[in-house]
Amino acid sequence: MIFITGPLFAGKRDYVRTALGWTEAELSANAVWDVQDLAAGTEDLVALTDELARSPVVIATEVGGGVVPIDPEERARREAAGRLACLLAERADAVIRVFCGIPRALKGELL
Amino acid sequence: MLTLILGGAASGKSEYAEGLVLSQPGPHIYLATMEPWGQEGAARVEKHRRARAGRGFRTVERYIGLNSLSLPPDASVLLEDLGNLTANELFHPAGGGADTVLSGLAYVTANCKNLTVVSNEVFSGGPDYGGDTLRYLKTLAAIHRALAARADRVVEVVCGLPDVWKEAAP
Repeated sequence: MIFITGPLFAGKRDYVRTALGWTEAELSANAVWDVQDLAAGTEDLVALTDELARSPVVIATEVGGGVVPIDPEERARREAAGRLACLLAERADAVIRVFCGIPRALKGELL
Repeated sequence: MLTLILGGAASGKSEYAEGLVLSQPGPHIYLATMEPWGQEGAARVEKHRRARAGRGFRTVERYIGLNSLSLPPDASVLLEDLGNLTANELFHPAGGGADTVLSGLAYVTANCKNLTVVSNEVFSGGPDYGGDTLRYLKTLAAIHRALAARADRVVEVVCGLPDVWKEAAP
């Protein structure tokens, strides 16, 4: 599994499609994205990681860079998203961060 | 040479960008995009303009519509900043939107020797925005990606230090 992360609107899905020559349909079939939104809905992040890791490409948006939210639910959601990203990165064969449309391998090789 | 410099608030991106542009051949033009609001704003702008003149920059102020700017063809230009220019083009009554930002940047690139653009990295705080803020973020991100694709160099400045994301072969 390849894990792709990066800030909001950084061009993460575009990078995957372009690098692998995938169509939108192929991307939908072989990748999951916005997985940061799934983290808050589960008690078991490891099980969620297992499930997501069956997909060849997993994409998450970094959401932990702002001020700690006052709302406890938002705080928990952000915390879970960060923990999930760490678990996915640990599991992944490669971790690629996309910034401004530019990819950089944090672990393993670029696509 | 087109350089895009990104960084968070008070990351040292402006100082880094100034140093870079001053290392390029002159004349050095500081393209200021902020519209000064009120007396305090005007005083602040004047103070910065004088400080930059002391460092060898001539200040040109343009809040919107870069594509009618007159520049010396051999100039090294520092545009500060793209986040501000994008907001002006999006929200100012006379603004022309995202396309005008990109065509303006293309125009300036073609009409000077070196262009260095400073912009704001504001995309790591989560997606919980709405309305105009979300529209602004989407637009600025698209402009960043388009400019990064065209740029010879893309640098993220973190606590005053450059992290080079792209460096075209000379």
